[in-house]
Amino acid sequence: MAAPWRVYRSRSGAVSGFVRAVWTGRTGAAAEEGLYEAEVLVPVRPVRNAVRPNSFTRYRNRFLYPTPRICCCRIHSDTKLKDPFSLVQKDLQNLYEDIKKLLVSKAELKALCDYYFDGKGKAFRPMIVVLMARACNIHSNRQGDLLPAQRSIAMISEMIHTASLVHDDVIDGSDTRRGKTTINEVWGERKAILAGDFILSAASMALARIGNNAVVSVLSQVVEDLVRGEFMQLGSKENENERFKHYLEKTFKKTASLIANSCKAVSILVNSDPEVHEIAYQYGRNVGIAFQLVDDVLDFTSCANHLGKPSAADLKLGLATGPVLFACQQFPELHAMIMRRFGSDGDVDRAWRYVLQSDGVEQTNYLAQRYCQEAIRQISRLRPSTERDALIRLTELVLSRDK
Amino acid sequence: MAHLRTCITKMAVWSRLACLGSVSRGHRTLSIFSSSSPSNWTKVVSDAEKIVGYPTSFMSLRCLLSDELSNVAMHVRKLVGTKHPLLNTARGFVYDSKHNLQMRGLVVLLMSKAAGPSSTTPDALLPDMVSGIYPSQRNLAEITELIHTAFLVHRGIVNLKDWTFSDGPLKEMQFGNKMAILSGDFLLANACTGLAQLNNTKVVELISSAIGDLVQGVYHENSSSTEEGSLSLASWEDQTFLSHGALLAKSCQAAMELARHNTEAQMLAYQYGKHLALGHTLNLDLQPFLKSSSDPTVFSLESAPVVFHRLIVGPERWLHQLQQSQSTTKQTDYSKLQRLIKTEQGVSQAADLCSYHGNKALEAIRLFPPSEARSALENIASAVMKF
Repeated sequence: MAAPWRVYRSRSGAVSGFVRAVWTGRTGAAAEEGLYEAEVLVPVRPVRNAVRPNSFTRYRNRFLYPTPRICCCRIHSDTKLKDPFSLVQKDLQNLYEDIKKLLVSKAELKALCDYYFDGKGKAFRPMIVVLMARACNIHSNRQGDLLPAQRSIAMISEMIHTASLVHDDVIDGSDTRRGKTTINEVWGERKAILAGDFILSAASMALARIGNNAVVSVLSQVVEDLVRGEFMQLGSKENENERFKHYLEKTFKKTASLIANSCKAVSILVNSDPEVHEIAYQYGRNVGIAFQLVDDVLDFTSCANHLGKPSAADLKLGLATGPVLFACQQFPELHAMIMRRFGSDGDVDRAWRYVLQSDGVEQTNYLAQRYCQEAIRQISRLRPSTERDALIRLTELVLSRDK
Repeated sequence: MAHLRTCITKMAVWSRLACLGSVSRGHRTLSIFSSSSPSNWTKVVSDAEKIVGYPTSFMSLRCLLSDELSNVAMHVRKLVGTKHPLLNTARGFVYDSKHNLQMRGLVVLLMSKAAGPSSTTPDALLPDMVSGIYPSQRNLAEITELIHTAFLVHRGIVNLKDWTFSDGPLKEMQFGNKMAILSGDFLLANACTGLAQLNNTKVVELISSAIGDLVQGVYHENSSSTEEGSLSLASWEDQTFLSHGALLAKSCQAAMELARHNTEAQMLAYQYGKHLALGHTLNLDLQPFLKSSSDPTVFSLESAPVVFHRLIVGPERWLHQLQQSQSTTKQTDYSKLQRLIKTEQGVSQAADLCSYHGNKALEAIRLFPPSEARSALENIASAVMKF
């Protein structure tokens, strides 16, 4: 059964199960500059062959040596691969303390704003931003040292992310987040929304203080993408082809845009070459989409509370994510359920079972791997450095994370 | 052509919505602006609008016509019959447009025009000006309106734990919240991108700080009744500045910055915006107390005359008066409470303070060179002092 959205077969025989389709939808800042047409990997039903991963285990070393036709692709042979987390530890020390200093307000509102900056978050976004900043600095013949403005971007990225989490929790009516009771549950919806707005305004002030118009513009785009992504989540598409495109576009806007544009921002701060900005942006975009795809998989595979939220949360919210969309190709019964947003009795359970019976989870993982490969291809165009290699290694962590 | 047709369809959605809204008896009205402003005010505003070239509502219009908000408009119909505040706010987009909803944008435009181009402006830039206003200043005026509207919407988010059966079905209140959050966020996001396009990071910082002020002001609205200890004239003014003055003050200042006017001009513009907003708020707060007593009006216990009255009589007498005007069913008899308040000086104090701020605004604007725009701003400040 050939999927209807096939455009042309990938030239690389190894990539069975996927075709590349040119997606002309405008994506973020880069599209605005007309630099490229976003290429989206659109899946087709897999040909069952050796390439297909036969379990959920991810390959440890699969991506460490990207294909040789890309320049600068060799990993520093003299440096041992460093753990991305330990590399940025020093830069991210006091990150949360510094963020809290930006949130200047009275009494109770202050407590709400500080609530999630308790140092227990993964600081995944700041980590990527710092690594990207250092990699770009070295690429630009500078010392690897982080510029103060680049560190600000790391803080701002975490703030924008947190502000959007606070609003999402109210929209979804969530009562726990990272093992904590949500702000809306403790203080009510109205105050939670205002706290989110306040964090955003503080982020926007910090952004303005950097004093770079291009950087302001790049990160403002993120705020718009986040809202548009949230709006996209309200509707379901009847047409399966459009549905997948819609899903990937939403994923870009809700998750990847922040990472892509933060990466771009730190590159702008050190290098004026648009090609370098584009590398940073594309790395962030691809890693961001992969990150979310894995997140969507974990919603099915991770047991409750492991992720800090109950499993099948997306289904319960009426959202059809990657695994469901793939499963729908195998079990067309899912189509009707997707359209009614799993609203009938027993829909969530039934959909859940269909997904686990199908290879939706594997396929989504596989798609995530493909996005990571693209991220590696992009970042490999930068001059080699410990940080660049850590960004490569990071893709692996994105794929192998289980919470 | 096709585009025009979609626009017209979308407009129709909004106006139908407005009609629906008026049918519902939504109780939790967002009475930021009473609809009973003096006709004098309306005239002052409509005269002033002619000076700035074209009305200020274009940015809001662009947002209203976006797919996102049209979608919200379709969905908001589901709220008819509930008491979700979004319904009335949405109605306000359409109906209140001639009542002050765009007042902030208008003041920013008049201020821009009154200040004119700065002496350091290269002549090459002058042709960009339309009716003596830079395009960036027009964008700023629209951004100011967007931010103001975003918070009208976010103010109306309901705490679901306080939900009672009379509000309407819980599910629909949840839905109303969702729509309110998304549309408020959408307006704010558009303000963010609009700000970025101004290409002036000082302005971005200034307006972002105004958003922060506004959040703090809105956050503490309706909280002074519980914290009797912190009640004072100064705290009322601080609080009112945050919730009603900061945005206008800082937008006026930013309009000067966009034309590269010096710090002094920026400070004057800020002062005008600040005092005008405070005077305007006091004027609106006073309205229920100035009408004939036969007409029972509900007023906020946070409004200036009530707060000043409470400061005069002290917490114990106030509590007593509140109990006096409550029937056995805990319903407040507002005309009775109003009579009690009118026996003291709270109302006249509020009126005095209103004149004080109106005059302060006049003082600031009169330091600008005389012009049609300046006169309009003077008229607005004077109108604020009339009851």
